[in-house]
Order: sequence, then structure tokens, then C-alpha cells
Amino acid sequence: MKPAPFSYIRVATVEEAANALSEYTDAKLLAGGQSLIPLMNYRLSKPTVLIDLCGIEAFASVSLKDDVFTIRAGITHQSLHEHPLVRAYAPVLAECAGEVGHWAIRNRGTLGGSLAHADPASELPAAMVALDARFVLTSVRGERTVTARDFYLGLFTTDLAEDEILTRIHFFASSANRIHFAEIARRPGDFALSGAFVRVEESATEITWFGVSDMPYHLTLDALPVEEKARQALFTSLASTLEPLDQTVYRRKLAAVVAERAYLKGRRVQA
Amino acid sequence: MSDALHHLQKNALKPKYTGARVTRKEDARLLTGASRYLDDIEIPGMYEIAFVRSQRSAARICAIHLDAAQATPGVKRILTAKECPCFFGSAEDVANGVVQPALARDVVRYVGEPIVAIIAETRYAAEDAVERVQIDYEPLQPVLAMRESLLDQPRRVHEKTPNRMFHSEYQTSGFEDAFQAAPHHLVEVFQTHRQTGVPLETRGLAATIDPGSGRLTIYATHQSPHGLRGDMAVALGIEENELRVIVPEVGGAFGIKAHAYPEYLVVAYAALKYKLPVKWISDRTECLLTDVHARDDIHEVEVAFEGNGRILAIRDHLRADAGAYSAFPFCGAIGETVLASRVLTGPYTIPHLATTIDCTYSNKTPLGAYRGVWGPIASFVQEGIVDRVARALHLDPVEVRRVNMIPDELFPYTNAAGQAYDRGSYRASLEKALEMLNYDELRAQQKTLRDHGKYIGIGISAFVEPTAMAQSEAGSVPYESATIRIEPNGSVTAAFGLGPSGQGHETTMAQLIADELGVDLKDIVVLHGDTDSAPFGGGTGGSRSGPIGGGAALKAGRAMKEKLQTLASHLLEAAKEDVQLEDGKAFVAGVPTRNFSIRELAQVAYTDVLRLPEDFPVGLEVVARYQPKRPVTFSNGTHIAVVEVDAQTGMIEVLDYVVVNDCGRLINPLIVEGQIQGGVAQGLGSAYLEELRYDDQGQVTTTTLADYLLPVATEVPRMRIAHLETPSSGEGGFKGMGEGSLIASPAAFANAVSDALEPFAFMVSALPVTPDQILAAIDRSRDSMA
Amino acid sequence: MSETISLSLTINGKPHTVDVEPRTLLVHLLRDTLQMTGTHIGCDTSQCGACTVLLNGSAVKSCTVLAVQADGEQVTTVEGLGTIENLHPIQQGFWEKHGLQCGFCTPGVMMAATDLLAHNPNPTEEEIRDGLEGVLCRCTGYQNIVRAVQYAAQQMNQQVAAPEVAAEAEGGRG
Repeated sequence: MKPAPFSYIRVATVEEAANALSEYTDAKLLAGGQSLIPLMNYRLSKPTVLIDLCGIEAFASVSLKDDVFTIRAGITHQSLHEHPLVRAYAPVLAECAGEVGHWAIRNRGTLGGSLAHADPASELPAAMVALDARFVLTSVRGERTVTARDFYLGLFTTDLAEDEILTRIHFFASSANRIHFAEIARRPGDFALSGAFVRVEESATEITWFGVSDMPYHLTLDALPVEEKARQALFTSLASTLEPLDQTVYRRKLAAVVAERAYLKGRRVQA
Repeated sequence: MSDALHHLQKNALKPKYTGARVTRKEDARLLTGASRYLDDIEIPGMYEIAFVRSQRSAARICAIHLDAAQATPGVKRILTAKECPCFFGSAEDVANGVVQPALARDVVRYVGEPIVAIIAETRYAAEDAVERVQIDYEPLQPVLAMRESLLDQPRRVHEKTPNRMFHSEYQTSGFEDAFQAAPHHLVEVFQTHRQTGVPLETRGLAATIDPGSGRLTIYATHQSPHGLRGDMAVALGIEENELRVIVPEVGGAFGIKAHAYPEYLVVAYAALKYKLPVKWISDRTECLLTDVHARDDIHEVEVAFEGNGRILAIRDHLRADAGAYSAFPFCGAIGETVLASRVLTGPYTIPHLATTIDCTYSNKTPLGAYRGVWGPIASFVQEGIVDRVARALHLDPVEVRRVNMIPDELFPYTNAAGQAYDRGSYRASLEKALEMLNYDELRAQQKTLRDHGKYIGIGISAFVEPTAMAQSEAGSVPYESATIRIEPNGSVTAAFGLGPSGQGHETTMAQLIADELGVDLKDIVVLHGDTDSAPFGGGTGGSRSGPIGGGAALKAGRAMKEKLQTLASHLLEAAKEDVQLEDGKAFVAGVPTRNFSIRELAQVAYTDVLRLPEDFPVGLEVVARYQPKRPVTFSNGTHIAVVEVDAQTGMIEVLDYVVVNDCGRLINPLIVEGQIQGGVAQGLGSAYLEELRYDDQGQVTTTTLADYLLPVATEVPRMRIAHLETPSSGEGGFKGMGEGSLIASPAAFANAVSDALEPFAFMVSALPVTPDQILAAIDRSRDSMA
Repeated sequence: MSETISLSLTINGKPHTVDVEPRTLLVHLLRDTLQMTGTHIGCDTSQCGACTVLLNGSAVKSCTVLAVQADGEQVTTVEGLGTIENLHPIQQGFWEKHGLQCGFCTPGVMMAATDLLAHNPNPTEEEIRDGLEGVLCRCTGYQNIVRAVQYAAQQMNQQVAAPEVAAEAEGGRG
């Protein structure tokens, strides 16, 4: 179980990375490598060129200005989890980053890597969909911005073009506060069997599920019933339309449960 | 009174180390990264092997294309069945006219079966070549289901041999009458799904021709150095004195390393035939595919019982899926079923038993040993029966256990299968565990919590653990050997034929010897694992090292003590029986100043030999072998698990765990408790997490540790452990204990879930029980009530 | 494939310059190239944590880090934790509390515990268990590992409280 051979390029700037990516076909970007390297160990992924982003200066910064968070893609899950700005103004993001993999994986794995990998059971892509985040994609052709909700196209499939790098993430801090999160996994650090981000406003509710579809599943509703039974019935009925990749009945049930748990968390916090 | 007991009592007052919480001698090298496991061994010029393995569960091999692989940089040689015509045949397979080739020839019979071996400069290069081998298959219909296989459906795994590879029947006399006459009956089908040991160090082998002696030297991660030497010598066609087996540090074994595997033959053959130093280490996917699997059993059970909970008779049709071949050198399917049938009545006085056993071939990985072998399955069935009787009669499960438990006055007790139990603490361990748990109070709490929608379950598992068996998987010799040599400077070197993999034998065996010789623990070195220096022995497995190996240590220690006393009495001009050994000195009782140090005695024995008494052989060396008089000694105890089941998600949380364990006299409680804690963790995995799943084509779908779920620190409960000590009649009074915790714990966890889900009329009948199954059961119950 | 890259890194305080294939995993650089075999391989998929080392002080699984990614960085392995003459408190804890049996997972577990205690010098039992979620042990059932880490935490806090003793121990390590 060892990777197939490849050529290795270490870049110091985003521009260098974009240039390398446009120059080589069959190249892959390496960020934290926590998904890619196991795949390479299994030879399920065999890029001929690997472009390592870990040498890019200041590729892991977080800033908050005029209610807009800007996070550069190279930040590790653990840094995201511990970052004081994130903890204070986007606590749900800090919380769910702490649920990604194990500690040693979070020390290495990056936000950008996770978002671009698009694992349907992963917390962070769903968090970004819930936050209605904007991703800045950079290539030699320039930059473009795409919403997280448009970015995800299917199982491990995104709108990222072959020559593009996900470099920055933007979202509004004010929206982050009202989103709450719950998930269920067999063991801590395992991919979620089902998870949900729930955003409750006075007149509307948004749910973003993960682990229960081929990609984050987002929907907007009217205000939720306050009465428990009616609300749970609604979650159950919504979840019954989900198409999980396996354990369909079970994951649908869990989807209703995590939605309710995230909702209750929100009610507790906001009370 | 036996000599052993007499000796035990004579020395009962003053053992310094035996029974003490001694920290381990092994740990210094392990904690600093200085130890050498198999993959750490570097032989100059060593090549590495990677295997091309079958991707089909059943197929004919039409062609193997090796050209691209041959051309891969770094490749030295490629072997197929043609170049490596070796095979293993266990007694069970040979009786059926079957042998397993080292590399599949013509037909593949399970996914992961090795077909081609690539020898290359590095594992990286070998894997580059593996990718370039192409194999043309003609698919065959796989045999996957036990029930169908028994009828040779859809086909035979081995063309000329019926799939039913083992059958036996047993019945107590008067069974039918007793069964029919009983007022109550119940039926249940218990099933356990495939699991495996998953030691953190994967298995492997390195082999080279020793340039000094010209002999083949094998480095192996194995539980039985001498057993492996014998098996490999036969398969390779060489003499045992032409083969040296060295077992370096072993990173966990749990039964899977009691076996020899086809890859081992390929590695050894390559070294022998091509004079190449070679090594193969399994990766984790190879481990999950091809380490022996275990626990693939079905028990169709009928039980007859009385209104007070007394169980009168059990009928059980036991089946196990052996896989494509019998594992070598023994078959797990036969071991699991035959031995389960002998302890199926557990610690209870159930008078009647009828068992039918069928083992079948399939297109799956061979079934072999995993810690506890038959025990976890038998306990799951036996304790599942007890709880079903309790539920059927609306009795407390404890009461049913009390009614059926073998009373103290009946020991030694022969169970319905003819197994002779020696004395234990059957009732006492149950009562002690209940007391530790505050059982009655917890039952009351459970009721209150249930009314609030919280589902707590209490699962009891009273167990028997047959240990130190005359016939066990590891080596199948009924004895162990120990040599003790006092070196010319007075330090002590002991050697054993054991094959430890973390059990701490270097410490426990040294404790026993230190007490016999009256020397400091640090002055003793315990060797094992090298067939050139270790005396012939059976190895480690079947919970035999403590009671049998420990017995050998005591016997050898006593023989050496006797030599020292003889020598000292001669030099001190005192009666031999007045010479005592303590603090590294031999002295006259009551006159400690009249003494010779062991060092001085050794000097006389090796150097100053003219001072030796007449007939005293030069040097200080003894070898002793210990064969227990009893064919088996039974440890016992009680485990109780307390769990909460989340009725919304089916997830289980363990809230408390209590163990009362009786393994006779304790050598080192620290080590015994470590064994128990590890076994309970594995039991948690067995009950809730671990399953090797196959799809309908015979593909294993759980090939990484992301799919085969091992218990992690957050899942395993903090355990509370108490010891009872009912000595065995063997040397030292020791009983084995390496497997009891994994024998008892799956049943405790299963019963706890069943108990929690009593309001939903659910009982766990298959392991592992998973959250989705639990939730489905809750929903079924709610639907039926609605 | 014969393409190699030269890289320089510091391992346990000592500088090393080596040529490796780009595909060489950090764990193989340590074990095969540099013969530092205290770090073990248990799964190849970042599940078991046997290969955990510190990279610039943070625990990482060296089976999922390329050696070239450690160019210019600081690596600490079990060989850098303490010597037999002067064991690190974590090593002492594992010894005293019987926190190991076969020892195969132990180096990785100890490195993970090092990072854990660096972040949280006074962890509760629950925090220790949470912090060790990424390391698997098949022998101990974790109970004595937890006790070992608690023991180490206590020892390390005492050392902090008594700096002159700590300094002496440091000097003794040479």
C-alpha cells in the first residue's frame, strides 16, 4: 500500500500554483493530504504531478471585517476549531471543524482541501452551504466567485475547473450565529451517518443535511412548528425524500433526529 | 497432598514477587522505540514481496500476464504456483482430500487468495509491478451461504469433496424424554458474524540463508516458534535442524498469529531456492482480507425449562463456515463449534444436551483462531438462553442464574458434555459482581428512567473459561518447557518455548523464578522466540502460558534451587534442608552470616570445580517440562455491563462495567487486569462494532479500518475489576485467563442491549448488533403496538 | 521514478539531509531511510495512529504526510521523547500504570499524548479519551493508557512547579 510514482512541485504562491496547474495535465493539488494521500496509498488516485500548496505564505489566515469573514483555504481544521475569531463569531464552524476526523488529522487537513474533496459525509462542505458561503476560485484565467450552494454538483464532484484552486472563503458572520449543528457517527471522528445544520429565523428555516445524499442537501422552509410532535413529523417527512448512498431507512431516520437536535440546540442557545 | 500443593503451602508465606503488582521488564525497550518488530528487521540486501491476490471469490484462472510486471524497474523475480509448488494441508483438509497451495493454481477460491508473488528491491517497486499483472478469470458461482453449502449448493467449493467438511453428533442419555417432559420450551437462532483479531502489528515473515551456518532462518510474527518451525520444515521438505525460527517482538496476535499462512511458504521458499533475503509484511487490507477470520457461526437452539427457571435440556444445531480451506494447522470452524458444544451449559447444572455440528466450505477466507475461539460464541448462546428463559417466565435474570448455577458442593463437576470442571467461585463471583454494581438499586432506577424515555439495560454474563488445555490451538502439545542457566557470574538466564505477544511473560516468568531462587527480579533475563535457544514448547495461545508455562518455570526454578542447596550445603557443611535462598544468597537457616552468594556458588560450579561435591555436574543448568495432570482447568467469573440505548438513533453508550474474575492464584494482578481490560474492549467491538461483511459476489466490503470498526478510547468504558482466587490443583495454583474477558463480555453487552429494549420486546440474537438493527427493532415494536 | 528530491529536516533536534522519491511517505523516510524504527505502521489510511509523530510540535499521522512535505520542518518521534536513562514523564506513566502490552501502538499513542498535554496540561479522563480518539490500541482497553496520561500530567505539573528539579533533569539528559 504505497503511492504510485509522481513528480512533485512545491509552490510558494497561489500564482505559482495556478501556473503549475495549467501547465501539467493530470496534476493534483496537495493541501493537507488527509484524504488524498490515503487514496494514493491505495492507488485509487494516481496523479502524475503533485502540486504542494503547504509552502504558500499566509495561506491560512482568518479575518473579519464589516461582518464578512474571509478565510484562506490553507487553514487546518484544528486552527479553524481553535481560532478566536471563529469561536466568537462563527461558533458553529468552530464546533463542526472540531468534529472532522481525529486530532492528528485536523492538525494537517485543510479547509480548502475538505471543501474541494466534496465528501458527502463531511461536515465542512455542508457548513459552507448552510452559511451560504462564497468560494473564490483562482486560475491563470483569473478569479471567479461561486456560492457553496452552486459549487457542489454531486458525489465528490464540484464546479472547480481542472485549472482552478479554491483560495478563499467568504461568509457573513451575522448569519453564522443563528446556525446550529448536530451529527451522529458510529465513533468520534468517523464520517457522519447523518448530520444537519439548522438555521432558525422568525419567519423561515433552513436545513442543510450531510451524510444522507450524494452532496450537502439544502432546503428552505417556513417557520417550524413549535409543537414537538408536529415539528418532528415535518422533519421525518422531509427526510423521507432524501436519497442516502446506503442504509436508506436508517439514515433518513437519523436525518430527522439530527435536524431536531440541531433545532433544539438553537432554541436553547437563543433562549 | 501433591508435591506441588505441599510446596505451595510451604512457601506461601514469603513469595516476594509472585502475586505482586510488578511493573514489566519488557517495557524499557518498548517505551523508547528500541524494540525490534518484524518490519524493523533489516537484513543486508533484503528484497520485499508484494502479492497479486484474487479479486474473485470463485473463478478459474485462464491466463496470467506477467510481461509488464517483469519489465518494472526494481523487480527481481516473479513467482507463480509453477515456480513455487508448496502447499499446506491441515489434518482436517487432508482428511477431505484438500490442500491449500501457497499460490493459487488453476482455481481461486476466495478474494485475497495469493496468486503471484513479486520480489522487488522495495515494497514500492513490488507494488508498481503488482499493478501491471493481468489475470484472466472465468468466473464460477460463489458458495456463500452455510445452509446452501451444506446441500452442495450452488456447487462444490472443491470439485471432488462435499462441502460438508465436518459433522458430529452428541446426546446425553435420556435427552428426548427429559426434553419432551419439560413444561416450557423456547427456540432461538443465534448467529455471530465474521470478525478477526486485527493485531496492530500486521503479520508477516522474513527469511534468509544464514551465512554462518548455511541454514534457513525465518523471522516470523508468530505465537508458536517451534510449531511454526515444524510446519515449515515439513512444507519446505527440510529437516528441523536446518531451519531456525526467530520470533522478534510481536505487536499483538490474538490467535491470528497462531496460524501459518500460504504467504509464509512463498517467502521461505524464495529465500531457500533463490538464496535471496526476502520479507513480506501484510498491509491492513491484506490483513482484513486474508488473516484468518473467525466467529462465522449459527446456533439453532431449542430449550426445555421449568416454571422456576430451571433449565433442563438444550438442543443445538451448530454450524460454522470454514471458508475455502481449513486454516493451517487447525480449522477454526471445527474448533469454534466442537469446543462450544462442550461448554454450552456454562456455569449451570443443565443436565441434558444434544448437539449436532456441521462445518462447511465456502468461497470465503479460511476461519481460524481469534481470542476465545469458541468461548465468545458459546457464552453468547448460553447467556442468551438464560435471559430468554427469564423473560419468558417474567423472572429476574439473576434469579434464573441462581436457580441454575452449579452449587459449590458439586465440584469437581462434570457438565452435560462430559467436561470436568475443577473448583471455582461460580456463585460467589455472581454475588460479588451484583454487590459491586448495587444491582437491586440499579434495577429500581432502570424502571424510573424507563418512564422518562431513557432505556438502561443491565447485562449479566457468568462465564467459564477452559484454560491450559492438553490440546489447544497453539502447538497442540500438553506441556511447556523452561530452561534456567545460572551464568558464571551468578546472573540468571531462563528460556521458554512460549510465544508472547504483549502478555508480559518476561516479567511473570521471572517473578516465579526469582521467588524460587531468592534472587532479584532484575538479575533474571527471560528469553523466548528463538528455536536455537528456547526449549521446545507449544507456544502461546488457549490461555496456557500462565498455568503451563508458569508451571514449567516453577519446576525449573525448583530444580535449580535444589542444585544450589546441594552445592551450598556441601560448601557450608550444613544439612541441605537447612539451606535457604534469599537476597541472592544461600545461607544456613537462622545463621544468615553463614552464607555463599549465588555468584560465589556459580564460580565454584563453573570455575573452581574441584570444590564441587562428588556426582555434582559441572555448571548450573536445568531444563524442566511441566504437563498438568488435568487435561483442562476452568477459570470463571461474572461480567455485568450497564448500557443506555438511544431509542431515537439506536446508538449504545456503556455506562458501567463490572468484572469479577477468578483465574486461581494470581502471578501479577497488574498484568491480569490489563488482559481483562483489553478483552472487554474487544468484547465491545465484537458486540457492537466489528464485522467483516461480504457482498453477494463474495467480495469483502470492509477492507480498511474505516470500515472495520475497532473500539476507540471514547467507546470503551472504565471497568471495575475484582479478583477471587480459587487455586487450581496444578503447579502454583494458576489458571489461565487470557481469553475469559473476551469470552464473557460480548454476552454481557448483548444482554444489556436486550434488557434495555425489553419494553420493545427485542432480544439480540446476532452479533454484532448495530444501531440500525436496534432502531428497526424499536420501530417494528412501535408499529405493532400502534 | 528514479527522480529524487533532496530535503533537509530536523529530527529529534538533529539535522538530516536526505534524497527521497517524492512518493516516499514520512513514515518510510523515518523507518527505512533513517532506520528510526520506533515509529510504526498500522493501517496506511490514517485510522490507527501507530505512526503518529510531532511535526513542528503538532501530532500528525506520518503515513499520510509525504516526506517532502516535511522539508525544512521539525519532526519529533518516540526516539526523541526520552532516553532509557531519563524517561519522559509520559514514558514513565506508561511504565508505572501498565499502559502498554504489545507496545506496537505505544509510540504513536505517546506522541499523541504529548500533543494533548501540551494543549491541556490538566485534562479530565473524558478529555484524555477524546484526545486519544485517533489512536487505536488493541491490547489495553485504554483504561491504563488513560491512567498513564494522568500520571504524566501530574508529573509534568510538579516539574513545572519545581523548576530547579526540572532543570537538573534536563541537564542530566545531556
